[in-house]
Amino acid sequence: MNDMRIAERVVDSMESKITARGVQVFYGQNHALKDVDVDILDKTVTAFIGPSGCGKSTFLRCLNRMNDTIDGCVVKGSIKIDSEDIYDPKVDPVQLRAKVGMVFQKPNPFPKSIYDNVAYGPKIHGLTRNKAELDEVVETSLRRAALWNEAKDRLKSPGTGLSGGQQQRLCIARAIATSPEVLLMDEPCSALDPIATAQIEELIDELRSQFSVVIVTHSMQQAARVSQRTAFFHLGYLVEFGETGQIFTNPKDPRTESYITGRIG
Amino acid sequence: MSAGLLSLTVLAVAIAGYILGRRRAVSVAGGDARKLHSLPSYHGQSVFLFTAVPAFVLMIFWLLAQPVYIENRVTALIPNIEADDAAARELAMADVRRVASGLDLAIAQGALRQADLDTLQAGATDLRGKLAGVGVALGADVSQYTFEAAREYRALKGSLGIGMALAVLAAAAVGFVFARSRISVAFRARNVSESFVIAMLIGASLVAVLTTFGIIFSLVFETWHFFELYPARDFFFSTTWSPRFGGGSSLGILPLLWGTLYVSVIALLVAVPIGLLSAIYLSEYASRRFRTFVKPLIEILAGIPTIVYGLFALITVGPLLRDWFAQPMGLGNSSSSVMTAGIVMGIMVIPFVSSLSDDIINAVPQSMRDGSLGLGATPSETIRKVVLPAALPGVVGAILLAASRAIGETMIVVMGAGAAARLSMNPFEAMTTVTVKIVSQLTGDTEFGSPETLVAFALGLTLFIITLGLNVIALAIVRKYREQYE
Repeated sequence: MNDMRIAERVVDSMESKITARGVQVFYGQNHALKDVDVDILDKTVTAFIGPSGCGKSTFLRCLNRMNDTIDGCVVKGSIKIDSEDIYDPKVDPVQLRAKVGMVFQKPNPFPKSIYDNVAYGPKIHGLTRNKAELDEVVETSLRRAALWNEAKDRLKSPGTGLSGGQQQRLCIARAIATSPEVLLMDEPCSALDPIATAQIEELIDELRSQFSVVIVTHSMQQAARVSQRTAFFHLGYLVEFGETGQIFTNPKDPRTESYITGRIG
Repeated sequence: MSAGLLSLTVLAVAIAGYILGRRRAVSVAGGDARKLHSLPSYHGQSVFLFTAVPAFVLMIFWLLAQPVYIENRVTALIPNIEADDAAARELAMADVRRVASGLDLAIAQGALRQADLDTLQAGATDLRGKLAGVGVALGADVSQYTFEAAREYRALKGSLGIGMALAVLAAAAVGFVFARSRISVAFRARNVSESFVIAMLIGASLVAVLTTFGIIFSLVFETWHFFELYPARDFFFSTTWSPRFGGGSSLGILPLLWGTLYVSVIALLVAVPIGLLSAIYLSEYASRRFRTFVKPLIEILAGIPTIVYGLFALITVGPLLRDWFAQPMGLGNSSSSVMTAGIVMGIMVIPFVSSLSDDIINAVPQSMRDGSLGLGATPSETIRKVVLPAALPGVVGAILLAASRAIGETMIVVMGAGAAARLSMNPFEAMTTVTVKIVSQLTGDTEFGSPETLVAFALGLTLFIITLGLNVIALAIVRKYREQYE
């Protein structure tokens, strides 16, 4: 495994998948996110970096309306996925979350078997007509999450019995089993060791061929390794957004430069 | 010296030991407490513990052993008792104790003098009259041997009491001197008092366990007695329950067990859905403010005395069910019925299910819910498929607790379902439960030798074994189906 590898910077598509304009988020009195404009491209990995509490996870959770589950959270502005406003009252957040999958910071497999973990999404959305189709979905999802070889002989054993890195790949398999269009990842490697991290990063790069991936990370190396676009958040503002190579080698904003060189954050 | 005064004395000595031990520790270190291995207060504590604990333990054992010893010595003095007639012996001993306490009282009030007692002949003086004069009424004249036994009883009690005081004080003194002599700069008083604390904790938990075994043992013992008098086959398989204290009663447990299970099942049918659903609402949907307001209100239900529930069953629910359900449907016209008791009991155990389940559902990590919601599941799908399976062991535990409350409940049954033992499917008919019959067999004038009384212990033991079995089965089920998070 080559940890010094750098992801392909060339993007496959210049089509915007998600368009956010003037997004403001309040937690009660706390103004957590201020006036954020972002265009996230299809079939591209976009990394959000920034110090703790800068609003990057908050923004990520706006993209599939997970913030709805938090009491006293108010979102203003417009976020469009495929030019449909996801905060429109007509949009069902439950349907939206099936389209925008999410992987969390800490691996959170359900206390069920590996098979049931992956089959959970397809089952609740009725994506398959029979057991054979479901088996197939489970297998392809596990294969795409690079877990099939390790898990195929123990599909009936509990997902919580896997190692940390395997659990996180199981959560990725679970997320892609509902065939989402966008995959959100909230610091997916922060609870993992370097080897598991490298596996997940490789996986992210492969997933880019089907989905648009948005990843929040604390590791600037990781952002540099996996992403084509990078957004730098600071104190609730989107400071700079652009091509990853440019952000890391030739940032325009002095704050971005300070953060990248380790002077703030 | 009485036990109370003795305890106070030992305590005073121990407190003095604490102060002296502390002072000695400081002086041993030449006034600089930093040189000691342990803080001066630990030295004081070790002296305190060594003075008080062995003395108190000795006192407790002495107090337990003394009556047995006196009983044995005194019984030997009573001639005309066949050695194996326990009832007659018990009766004679009760007389002896009564006379002895009468003599105590007479001496204390000055009606008799201690010196006279030794020369007194029961036949010559009117002892009965004398004792009646100080307020101790006896059923018959005191016979010579009873009087002598009572005298011996008093003498033994007096001398053993003094002996105990001396022994306990000696134990305290020895402990005090021993602990004080151990104090030195290097003495690890801190570790010593730590191991003392551990020993006390072990002792406390042993008491709890031993009590349980004691209860089981006494139940088994009396049940054994019962089965010597009454055939076990009839007890377990007869379908009639009609105790007659004149003899010839039929004591089949089946109608009672049926009543118990019927009432408990109805109670759980009421309590589990209501309790579980309200727990889900409170923990998953309700706002924080609503929850803090409503949860204590539900818990109030558990604090209402069962007799009040009984009144509610008797006056409100019973007639209501009779007038609106039983009579129109032609199912009987009794206001006490299994249904009444079951419903009211169900209301009583709602908080056991809801409050515990609520805590358990809340303990399921938020990351489980996030994971499910993030996949596009609705809140209720999340609860059904992820949260409840993860909370299952605790929820089953809560239901079990409610079930054992329902099985053991007595008051509501007496007032709601009546006291007629009957085997019937009709839920609007009066029935009764095991616990109610235990109460009715043991209250009133009864002697503990007839099967009609002893059956209560057999009933109790059967009930105990059934609830134990339920617990074991439920644990096994939970172990098989639990979905363990982390």
